[in-house]
Amino acid sequence: MTSDRHRGRSLLLPALATLLLATTVLALGAGRYPVESGDILRFFAGLAGWQTLESARQDLLYNLLVEIRLPRVLAAILVGAALSVSGAAFQGVFRNPLVSPNLLGVLSGAAFGAAAGMLMGGSWATVQASAFLCGLAAVGVALAVARSFGAGSLVMLVLGGIISGALFAALLSVVKYLADPYNDLPAIVIWLMGSLAAVDIRDAGWVALPMAAAIAALCAAGRWLDALAMGDDEARTLGVPVGVVRYGVIGCATLLGALTVSMAGMIGWVGLIVPHVARLLAGPGHALLLPASALLGASFLLTADLLARSLGGAEIPIGIVTELLGIPVFLLVLRRARKGWN
Amino acid sequence: MMEQNPNPMLQAAGVGFNRGRRVILDGVDLQLAPGDILALLGANGAGKTTLLRCLLGLLKPDAGVVRLNGRPLSGHSPRQLARHLAYVPQAHAAPFPYTVRQVVTLGRLPHHGPFSAPAAADLQAVEEALTQLGIQALAARPYTELSGGERQLALIARALAQGARTLVMDEPVTGLDFGHQIRLLERIERLAADGYAILKTTHHPDHALACATRVALLHEGRIDADGPPADVLSPAAIRRLYRVDVELLQAGSGRSAFVPAG
Repeated sequence: MTSDRHRGRSLLLPALATLLLATTVLALGAGRYPVESGDILRFFAGLAGWQTLESARQDLLYNLLVEIRLPRVLAAILVGAALSVSGAAFQGVFRNPLVSPNLLGVLSGAAFGAAAGMLMGGSWATVQASAFLCGLAAVGVALAVARSFGAGSLVMLVLGGIISGALFAALLSVVKYLADPYNDLPAIVIWLMGSLAAVDIRDAGWVALPMAAAIAALCAAGRWLDALAMGDDEARTLGVPVGVVRYGVIGCATLLGALTVSMAGMIGWVGLIVPHVARLLAGPGHALLLPASALLGASFLLTADLLARSLGGAEIPIGIVTELLGIPVFLLVLRRARKGWN
Repeated sequence: MMEQNPNPMLQAAGVGFNRGRRVILDGVDLQLAPGDILALLGANGAGKTTLLRCLLGLLKPDAGVVRLNGRPLSGHSPRQLARHLAYVPQAHAAPFPYTVRQVVTLGRLPHHGPFSAPAAADLQAVEEALTQLGIQALAARPYTELSGGERQLALIARALAQGARTLVMDEPVTGLDFGHQIRLLERIERLAADGYAILKTTHHPDHALACATRVALLHEGRIDADGPPADVLSPAAIRRLYRVDVELLQAGSGRSAFVPAG
């Protein structure tokens, strides 16, 4: 039975990758102008040099799939993977399965930054940069508070995150209060609900590189995270450089969080629930859990985005979809997940 | 690949440690040789934990030096140190339901490194450690669902999987029921007979009497006495350490135990 489970787990990543591929094809095909899966595969075969479609159809599909739908699909994959991996890594490094990527205030900081950027009437790029920088600043505040009270203590880090998150939430309220209620305020509120609609291919390309690097770095730190989960002293006596790992993981997860907000706004719940579902499939070992979370998170957000743009007549903000979808999933998972908690 | 040192030895020479202006440890000398079970006995606040952390290289002493196999701890890389010196903490709760096998496999981290999966030799060492402690049947169980005694065995198995010959145990039997305490002490004796060097802290004099080749008394940051249990553990020494009056009872088996006097 043990060896069966072992074999099952070695097949997990290929299975999740297949799921992601299937979801991607589905998401590319769906929309005002539906495209069948077969045509999508033939189109990509055509791109690779093995053309079977008429060339007019190939051109039409190029416009539709690559220029219109692909940026959004890529963004959903990246943001879903990034939020899920950073959530799983945060849960490991803080030894707490209820922690979300916002623990140190990165999402609150980024939300304030984006809102402030909109209030100043900045361009889209300014808004993104401002969101990113304020996300990093919020975590900087949390670390500074933690450092000034107790060196390297986990509880102090959590308290620092609470303080920093509250500070930036208050600042966000100030911005909302000052915003022009007819134009700026609705734009801010809607943006905060999250959307992948505004992503263009250059954005996605520019953000993809640091995101992929941070996701890969976190996945590589999996075995260290297992040791760290047992306690600092134990990890040190197992040869783990605890400080480097802890702050390295926090740094990568913060980078991922800030990049997702600057790309797609606030998308809640993904970073909390996807790691739990992944843990049910992959077990608690982080070497498998982190890549499994990335693949699963990408599929989850693709599905959520698919629902966001196909459920109603108009598009629903994706943050609302992830929350509505996330709560029942979380309730289901909780029944099994809590067995391990005490 | 694995370096075998025929004479693993942990040695503290003149170790001192201060917290602010408070002296926690003062001129502590200790030696640990293969086959030793050294019980470090002291009251709460005597400095046991600080000494333990200095011996493990988790704290840097303000004075003196700790050597492993003749070399100062700072002269070993963290991974190298982990292959020779293992820490067995008190049984604790883990935040995630790792299986016992996963917990024990963590002991191989200093061997295969963080970026590669455990190799066949690592997996074999894990199975051997599980067998040595007789917990193969627990291997697939979640660590979080085990009893305190079983958790302690899993943590000792992890230390063995590390390949370390010097084991430092923090109150290994605290919190275990009577039967588990005695069985665990027997396991520890068997490990010492196999040539492991074992240091364990305890605040229970009877455990030092029952299972130790040597006892060191730590009193207000200094080693008061260090020698065979029968020589060191007297009612007078216990009175000095714990400020209680006791008498020593001899059992028929040759074992003895302390009971409150009067």
